[in-house]
Amino acid sequence: MTTLRPFEKESTREFDYVGQRTVRVDGLEKVSGAARYVDDLDFGPDLLHAEIVESPHANALIKAIDTSAAEAVPGVTKVVTGADFPFKFGLYMKDRYVFAQDRVRFVGEQVAAVIARDPKVAKRAAKLIDVSYEELLPIFDPIEALKPDAELIHPDLGSYTHVPWFYPHEDTNVAHWRKTRKGDIEQGFAEADVVLEDEYTVPRYAHCAIEPHVIVGLYDQSGRLTMWSASQSPYTQRHLFAEALAPLGLTHKDVRVITPYVGGGFGGKAGVSMEIMGAAIATAVKGHPVKIRFTREQEFYNTYQRQGLVAHIKMGVKNDGTITAIEHIMNWDAGAYVEYGANVVNAAGLSATGPYRVPNVWIDSKCIYTNLPPGGPYRGFGYSEFMFGLESHVDRVAEAIGMDPVEFRRKNAIREGDILAYGAEMNPSGLIEAIDRTAAAIEWGKKETSDDPNKAIGKGFAVFWKAPAMPPNASSASFLKFNEDGSMNITVSGMELGQGYLTAMAQIAGEVLSVPPSKIRVETPDTDRNPYEWQTVASHVTWSCGNAVHAAAVEAREKIFDVVHRVHGYEEESLYLEDESVRSSTDPDFKLPLRDFVIEGLEAPDGTFKGGPIVGSGTFMPEFTSTSSDPETSQGGHPNVHYTVGAAGVVLEVDRETGRMKVKKVALAVDVGKAINPSLIEGQITGGIVQGLATVLYEDMRFSEKGKLMNANFTDYKIPTAHDIPDETIPIIIEVGQPDGPFGARGVGEHTMIPAAPIIGNAIKDALGIRITSMPITAEKVALSVMKEQASEGDET
Amino acid sequence: MTIAQVFDYQRPESLEQAVQMLAEHGGDVRVLAGGTDLVAWLRDEAVAPDLLVDIKQIEGLGEISDEGDAVSIGSLVTFTDVINSGLVAARLPLVSEMSATVASVGIRNRATLVGNICSAVPSCDAGPPLLVHGAIVHTFGRAGARQIPIDDWFLGPRETALAPGEIVTKVVIPVPPGGHGAAFVRLSRYEGEDLAQASVAIVAPADHRFRVAFGAVAATPMRARRIESLLEGKALDPTLVAEAIALVSEEISPISDIRASKEFRLRMSEVMLQRGLKAAVERLEGNGPSYGTNLM
Repeated sequence: MTTLRPFEKESTREFDYVGQRTVRVDGLEKVSGAARYVDDLDFGPDLLHAEIVESPHANALIKAIDTSAAEAVPGVTKVVTGADFPFKFGLYMKDRYVFAQDRVRFVGEQVAAVIARDPKVAKRAAKLIDVSYEELLPIFDPIEALKPDAELIHPDLGSYTHVPWFYPHEDTNVAHWRKTRKGDIEQGFAEADVVLEDEYTVPRYAHCAIEPHVIVGLYDQSGRLTMWSASQSPYTQRHLFAEALAPLGLTHKDVRVITPYVGGGFGGKAGVSMEIMGAAIATAVKGHPVKIRFTREQEFYNTYQRQGLVAHIKMGVKNDGTITAIEHIMNWDAGAYVEYGANVVNAAGLSATGPYRVPNVWIDSKCIYTNLPPGGPYRGFGYSEFMFGLESHVDRVAEAIGMDPVEFRRKNAIREGDILAYGAEMNPSGLIEAIDRTAAAIEWGKKETSDDPNKAIGKGFAVFWKAPAMPPNASSASFLKFNEDGSMNITVSGMELGQGYLTAMAQIAGEVLSVPPSKIRVETPDTDRNPYEWQTVASHVTWSCGNAVHAAAVEAREKIFDVVHRVHGYEEESLYLEDESVRSSTDPDFKLPLRDFVIEGLEAPDGTFKGGPIVGSGTFMPEFTSTSSDPETSQGGHPNVHYTVGAAGVVLEVDRETGRMKVKKVALAVDVGKAINPSLIEGQITGGIVQGLATVLYEDMRFSEKGKLMNANFTDYKIPTAHDIPDETIPIIIEVGQPDGPFGARGVGEHTMIPAAPIIGNAIKDALGIRITSMPITAEKVALSVMKEQASEGDET
Repeated sequence: MTIAQVFDYQRPESLEQAVQMLAEHGGDVRVLAGGTDLVAWLRDEAVAPDLLVDIKQIEGLGEISDEGDAVSIGSLVTFTDVINSGLVAARLPLVSEMSATVASVGIRNRATLVGNICSAVPSCDAGPPLLVHGAIVHTFGRAGARQIPIDDWFLGPRETALAPGEIVTKVVIPVPPGGHGAAFVRLSRYEGEDLAQASVAIVAPADHRFRVAFGAVAATPMRARRIESLLEGKALDPTLVAEAIALVSEEISPISDIRASKEFRLRMSEVMLQRGLKAAVERLEGNGPSYGTNLM
């Protein structure tokens, strides 16, 4: 039986649970401390601990490794090196090994592991491993890496396997080059009254989830590999573990990944990074669980980092404000391995017009190998990076033609049905409403002054958009079962990362089946028990898995109506669910509680029982997507399922002398399609703004001349505290339904941090008249810019 | 957090026992009080001691006491203890104001004021206020007790006048006679926990014999004696303040590091001096911003 599209069917009625501020289903577990994370799990006295030996060099050949002294330390169980696991892995491009083979490509890369009874013994023994290196000249600047005579960081790039929509350039450091072309770019600039171009730079950033990466592996005597992982991607991990370790005879059936609660991800726990080591070393100590628990320092330099960007933007506009052309050249510092990060580059390359109608587009997005730590997914997935430049540039273009920047954005805002840069159509969007409501919230156009003569107040505005960046066949699945009392258990394999996903799934199933979410338990993943989910990334899981849960609930409902029809005779079309009971539109007196029959079935007049345990299963795959397109233009496919759009504005107070900034008010409007739970979306808005503001105001990775990360700690890599939140945050939820989303919902998780950087840059300009084109925009940078400006004014007079 | 180093650990119950242990044990011996620096250094293997002498069980080191013309702060007194002390707030508001800016609540609950000057990093928060108050560091060792003026205490980054085998027992901070105003101005990268990028401590006594000290802009916290001489006994007016600011670049020798550039530290030290002088004098006159107000 086919299921009707949920939004079409259900948007017309009032909801009991969807759209409500339902209390989190995981709330009690978390506030009571009952929730368990990987490091909380007890593996008994057999547990072994691994210490990783890391490269001190950014680019070097490994000439020899002497492990004998480490192996002789009492308490050391095993020492492993790259020679033990000559296996490649990678999500989108297989360019990594479990441990370095003959070459290291960044400071901190794993070279060997010492497995011991106790972490102290492992740490001491690891120091005794003698690795002989021959240093090579490292490359840290992506622009240097592009030069024709640059040393090749991956000389064998041409032989690497990768997804078909990547275009590596053999014998260069360009691992992938996404080209998007639309219209005639030269013609577009020719038609413009004003053409403005400039360069914008964005450094690397770290996710800084509160829980570090932890992986425990047990390869038992029967050859079964069970992994307990702090991950956003249990199924992707299972697949990559099975794929990489296939030479050892492992198959998918033999690999089980269990992911309990996770203490934050932000993309850092997507895919497979350090976890591959845990899977491999477990096979070396059969019968013993073995744990790798990353330190905070390792979190910074050997998981994923947000990639650095050097972007060159050229925009043409007419005097009436119409954008005629955008050329956006993005050179990404993607790091030593790009198995995941190349897809960030790809996503940006498809969408770097921003949410604007642009007839003529030229985008180059280049994924460039450097000898810095591997880049990878980070909340925003490339959009935060390029939107800093683009939305700064939009303000400048508007200024150049004397147009209000909000009016300029309004005029050029993309609308439903507009043709995107790669040729597909734009989905329904509340962008105009977002612009208008955000502008109203910050009283755009009303100049404010501070009581303090040292301080200026500026306002900044930006729009944003983002689409999930997924393979065209990324899918979700769900199982649902009723219990005797009418309560339910749902299994899914998306991850509860703090965003409230489990609660949203309970609300969706509860809505379909008229069961309160408080009576629904949604389980964290175990790949042996829970059905498939691609990954909890891309802000897609409420949409995609929500559709799967919805389908499972509809299937269960159909089974309920079927058995009621068979026993009581009501036509299925007349049946509906209300207050945990089956009702009939043809018989107002009929009310059959679910708990009476969802396990035990219904007794027929002849004394037999019909039905039985009610279970449901549901899957979802976006069958309309495709990455088949022309590699020279990106025309022809449908790579993105939908864009979520919005706008943000800030009222910023700046101290002219010190450059110190205070966010007095920030408003963010986002079109979520349908707010399954408004409180959770407000949480995403507040959290995204705080995280985004930190990247613009003070976070910054600093590397030494040798490529060593100098601030792999919270002493010198600052993340926001309770003291650093804006004085006032105004979340604005807009609901222009997504036709293929559960109850009309679309993704929202990442988007809320995207506009943070440009609203600050634009507000500084408004307050002080100074345009800063590189992130972060620290107090120091602002103060020194003011000094420089004053000095040059002094010179002129 | 794995500390993989091997070292001995002792927990004496008296000062005599402690100095005995310090004297008898060869090699690198470290005194452990709050441990907020030392334990992190142990974990990072920035220090490699043979012995840790934990002084937390020694009685009498955790007192804040009124010594008439001075306030004494024992070596186990935490920054939180200082913040909660009505005595310190009433008599040495600068020390209270500084203490509230140190790190975060969790660290302040553990970190000691004396430990802060024993670690003696250039950015140590307690340095400038103790310098402007002319504090005396009291030590005890096998050779007996010593009193070291704070001006002689800081010898270099992480280097002090404490002799091997000695323990700091307390620091005695004189209260300026007559009323005084003061200000501790501290620059950091954001509102949350941070090490000082630069700091300035100012005491403005009734006779306007100003005391000024800077932190994090030289190898050690340092008195700004030329600025003090310039200001001595004078009423502050814009010209005088401008002259004082002009001296800052002669007084301090900031470096560029991961926390700030030399240029920014210099400029901000000028701003901090200007704002700090204004606040200290206003506080002296009874109309300044309340202590604890972030002037940056």
